[in-house]
Amino acid sequence: MADLAVGLLGKVLKNPVMNASGTMGYGVEIEPLWGIEKMGAYVTKGLSLKPHHGNPPPRVFEEKCGMINSIGLHNIGIEAFFNVYMPFFKKKDLPVIINFFGFSEDEYVECARYIKPHRLILALEANLSCPNIKAGGISFGKEPESVYRLIKKIKSVTEIPVIAKLTPEVTDIVSIAIAAYEAGADGLTLINTVPAIHVDIENRNISIRGGLSGPLLKPIALKAIRDCSEKVPIPIIGVGGIMDWEDCVAFFMAGARAVQVGTATFLDPYAIPKIIDGLRNYMDKKGYSSINNIIG
Amino acid sequence: MNDFEAEVIRNEQIIKDFFIIEFSLSKPIEAFEPGQFVMIKIPDQRVFLRRPFSIYDLHGDSLSILYKIKGEGTRLLSKAWKGVKTQILGPLGRGFNINIPDTCKPVVIAGGIGIAGVSLLIKKLKNIPDIFYGCTEEMELRLIDHIKSKPVFFATMDGSYGFKGDVITLFERHFQGYNSPIYVFACGPLAMYKSLKEKIPESIHCEVLLEERMACGLGLCFGCVKKTIDEKEPYKRVCKEGPVFDLWQILL
Repeated sequence: MADLAVGLLGKVLKNPVMNASGTMGYGVEIEPLWGIEKMGAYVTKGLSLKPHHGNPPPRVFEEKCGMINSIGLHNIGIEAFFNVYMPFFKKKDLPVIINFFGFSEDEYVECARYIKPHRLILALEANLSCPNIKAGGISFGKEPESVYRLIKKIKSVTEIPVIAKLTPEVTDIVSIAIAAYEAGADGLTLINTVPAIHVDIENRNISIRGGLSGPLLKPIALKAIRDCSEKVPIPIIGVGGIMDWEDCVAFFMAGARAVQVGTATFLDPYAIPKIIDGLRNYMDKKGYSSINNIIG
Repeated sequence: MNDFEAEVIRNEQIIKDFFIIEFSLSKPIEAFEPGQFVMIKIPDQRVFLRRPFSIYDLHGDSLSILYKIKGEGTRLLSKAWKGVKTQILGPLGRGFNINIPDTCKPVVIAGGIGIAGVSLLIKKLKNIPDIFYGCTEEMELRLIDHIKSKPVFFATMDGSYGFKGDVITLFERHFQGYNSPIYVFACGPLAMYKSLKEKIPESIHCEVLLEERMACGLGLCFGCVKKTIDEKEPYKRVCKEGPVFDLWQILL
């Protein structure tokens, strides 16, 4: 049987499939359906130094081929996550990627500093789509300079590998990827949700803003991955619109070393275990012994 | 909890815009609580997310949902023919607490399609509840044909049957008459809960079933929250911490 194991950021994962940040709660919620240890790694909901209440409802909006969310970074805070939920992942012996954010450079840095290295902490995934309050709310991830400065600062306070998760809403994502790499980022996650608005025609409400997700993101993500992988030598985790194992194969071929599955889980809570099984069958059928045979 | 394969057995219009759909599940559901819900994949490619529905009735592998056409999802669900196959995830969430003290008189208040959320509760309560049912017009009384053997107080907004006005005003009229403690369960629109909150004292236990737009139904996405009085963690997931909440805990 094919081996799905993949080397990533100095560790070996049993397979290259993870959840996308914010699409699998705190990890414990899926337990009645399937064991989360099936995944290569668990990616936390975006965590911040202090708890964050998030946006008032409604927070999710359906589109014809996707959904827009405006959860507003609702989370219990980094400290509570480690106290309440980290023991669960230790018991499962499951590697964890800590997704984190801040509203200032200092908040990112303090959050990164708080997290102590542990054999199960695979990486810190910096969500760079967050608005920088000091810079008038422009997201950290939109300018190469601000990405460089922020990643450099985060890297200076932690020994844990740092992944930059990039927003697609930029003129040239490759220049952002290069800035993150030059600042010392150990990996990239491509791409975050696409900023979008939902128009509620019933109430004539045009003020609903959020992140678009779903299968229509796939070709956008694939392009970002392909373009960045040609210019930047660090591993790329691909995310955006993956619905099945065929999509995953496309992501690997485009240059991703691992993948994250998000919205698909909402449509089918078994999407991730099905994808893992599908990948294994595909490799067996093709006679591939390792996932490295597919990664482009 | 499981993600069941389901086949439509019947999908019948009761009155205009109100339907009962019955599914045969691939496996029986053994344990569930009244007030819990399921996420149904609408058997039409045009609908992206699943839709949450209260469990209206459930016997082993036979699951029924009472629904009202409100939008595109329910409109397309109403077109699902006998024999159509789909997926149903459930049972989900926290239901009503049916183990209330024997000394308490249960009172169930339902507004319109809210009857779908409390029908099982009415059946499962040990003590026979007083039921207050409010709707827009007499036609909607057809929705409670199955519980007419129980004591029901009716209110219609147009006065075409029973009390003319809203169901909370009707309940308020009876409220002073209870000599023993009561325990209230309610399912209906937010305006009904607001009115209930104003008209009964906080000493009365009251559980209400909330609805909210959902994406996952499992507590994964934090998309379906309602604000509560908990200052530390105000937004609670309707799908996980709910859909049944203590009336006095939620902010309306």
